[in-house]
Amino acid sequence: MNPLVVNNVVKHYADKTAVSGVQFEVSKGEIYGLLGANGAGKTTTMRMILGLIYPDQGEIKYNGKPYSNELLKNVGYLPEERGLYPKIRVSEQLIYLAQLKGMSAKDADRSLKYWLERFEVPENYNKRVEELSKGNQQKIQFISAVIHNPQFIIMDEAFSGLDPVNVELLKATVKELRDNGASIVFSTHRMEHVEELCRNITILHRSKEVVKGSVKDIKSKFPKEKVWLQTKEEVAGLEQLSGVKAVHRHENGLEIEIAEEKVAAQILNHALSQTEIEHFQVKEPTLNEIFIRTVGDRNE
Amino acid sequence: MKSLLERLVIVMNNFWTVVRFTVMNKLKAKAFIISTLVFLLIISVVVNIPYIIMQFQGGGEDKTQTVGYIQDGQSLGSVTGQQLEQYFANIEGSKLTFKGFATSGNAVSDEETLKSELNAGELYSYLQFGEATDSGFPEIIVKSEKLLDYSVASQIEAALQVIRHNNILSEAGLTEQQMKELQAPIVVDAVQIKGSLSAGGEGEGKTAEEQGVNMGIIYFIIIFLFMAVMISGQMIASEVTAEKSSRVMEVLITSVSPLTSMFGKITGMFLIVIIQLASYLAVGAINLSLPHNAEMLKELNIDLSVVDPMLLVFAGLYFLAGFFLFATLYAALGSIVSRTEDLGNAVMPMTFISLAGFYIAIFSISTPDSLLVKICSHIPLFSPFVMVLRLGLTDIALWEVLVSFAILLVTIYLAVVLSAKIYRTGVLMYGKRPSMKELRKAMKAYKI
Repeated sequence: MNPLVVNNVVKHYADKTAVSGVQFEVSKGEIYGLLGANGAGKTTTMRMILGLIYPDQGEIKYNGKPYSNELLKNVGYLPEERGLYPKIRVSEQLIYLAQLKGMSAKDADRSLKYWLERFEVPENYNKRVEELSKGNQQKIQFISAVIHNPQFIIMDEAFSGLDPVNVELLKATVKELRDNGASIVFSTHRMEHVEELCRNITILHRSKEVVKGSVKDIKSKFPKEKVWLQTKEEVAGLEQLSGVKAVHRHENGLEIEIAEEKVAAQILNHALSQTEIEHFQVKEPTLNEIFIRTVGDRNE
Repeated sequence: MKSLLERLVIVMNNFWTVVRFTVMNKLKAKAFIISTLVFLLIISVVVNIPYIIMQFQGGGEDKTQTVGYIQDGQSLGSVTGQQLEQYFANIEGSKLTFKGFATSGNAVSDEETLKSELNAGELYSYLQFGEATDSGFPEIIVKSEKLLDYSVASQIEAALQVIRHNNILSEAGLTEQQMKELQAPIVVDAVQIKGSLSAGGEGEGKTAEEQGVNMGIIYFIIIFLFMAVMISGQMIASEVTAEKSSRVMEVLITSVSPLTSMFGKITGMFLIVIIQLASYLAVGAINLSLPHNAEMLKELNIDLSVVDPMLLVFAGLYFLAGFFLFATLYAALGSIVSRTEDLGNAVMPMTFISLAGFYIAIFSISTPDSLLVKICSHIPLFSPFVMVLRLGLTDIALWEVLVSFAILLVTIYLAVVLSAKIYRTGVLMYGKRPSMKELRKAMKAYKI
């Protein structure tokens, strides 16, 4: 049985349904992506996993057992909005939070120093949080979620507010936590992160699951509707081929939207008959496109 | 299945971690240190004000004040002046002395003489005599440069009363023995007795002296409780709101159960308030025991040994119970607002309730037997203030105290359950302050 099982949970708030029948499992050493537009039910789902609120129906099991207070020290949480004491020193508050998770002050201190070193900010140890830049605060927040080496990690918008260098740094860390066996639930609006990190995802829309499965399967289920073409010389008459919906001319190539996958072969033949081909690719839809299509369609 | 003991150990560990964190952060906070120091300074000044005022009044207690008058040897005024001079000279340690100045025969130049003596600092004030009055003494005017200084005038009044009294009595031919008898003070002692078994222990009721000391102690306890509730209530509520508005609460509640964190915070604040108030007391006591204040303290003549220990025990219990009742409610109120700006409005009801309890107790201190006091001593939020009155100043039946305390304990239990629920719900609700209805709905939705 997988360490984290979310079984058909339903949550109503007074007059509206926040989450309706969400179901997924996270295995050991896996990052599970939870996607959705704002208000789709991600945060409610995460709060239920964290045990802050209880589902009206369905159940959540951790290592086969229902939620209990002892579980708290095995859970790390990175909230969407940053939550730290602004006027208290980094060392004091992180050791405090780690102690609440059952660590000794000494272990917590050692762990904190390791993580600060790891994020290349050891000088923040004695600073107050309000003195830190947004990116550095984010690093401290991240440390607060993982300092006690939890088995379950819930990350809501882990990389917001970071520059690309630090995003890479944290991404590498998340992967390492995964490889060390943590079960991670991860939410973000940045689809390229999902593609890189998550094995399986759920896209929520208006409290319901609309797309679910492994990233690979999801992509293969959506038709390939784009062709990338780079040729030595200009190719004429592409627009006239049947099945070609649009041709976008980019600086170093053409992006062609097609109605069906088999049109791609016709494009290739058409181009070959005119000139030499440098690059030809039938592109998979990106998660971004899938997201916009699934969530966008239903908006109408 | 984990043993209950193990779970308890986790909860207690977390509890003390929260307590320690709360106390340490408060003690280290600049605002707290500065406000405490300022208050200590104010206390030091206030305690020494009587002494300081005395210093400013020119010369302090050892310096005598000289009052001048014109001596012409025959007029009624001169005789009165002479009598006053003798009277004050005979009183040991008197701070007033009188000095006669020979007349020049001219009233205007006489006054000029006295005025110049006053300017030279030789005289504190001088007397002017007018027409004779029915009292047997002339009209007397005390002239001095001081504004509204009645002390000389009233001392002269008192002295003349005695002088006249003695004159008339000796003219009537009374013996010295008879005069002494007439002047001996009559003493009536009020001792309060009790009819039935009371909470005051075995005793024979309360003597006037005990009542006096008890009254002082009660004032002290009521003010102490009120300050503790107001200071810590505000601090608890604003700490909770600050944790909520900085969103650190979301991280906290995934680490420690809300109940543990709430009680950890309350206990931490309790320690802080006790430390703070104890330091005020200590500084006040140190200042009072400085040599120059020793005499004043002696005059107050407080004998703490007459205080009934049972009063202190009950007062302590009521203090603790009252503190925790208010503190839990303040924590709950702090948890429903998400911004510090909204906090004032939210805690207003609690502030009014504690003010009401405080004033009912303070204003009823002379009527501790009134119906209002009896009723309020059973109303949970008022009883910590009001019950000490009845304990200290009346002989209240033990069962009444127990009933009142039981009501208080039940209320605390209910308040804790309710506050825990509000807290648990409130910390997850952001945005505008929720109404009672919204709060109830949310509680239902969160299944709390």
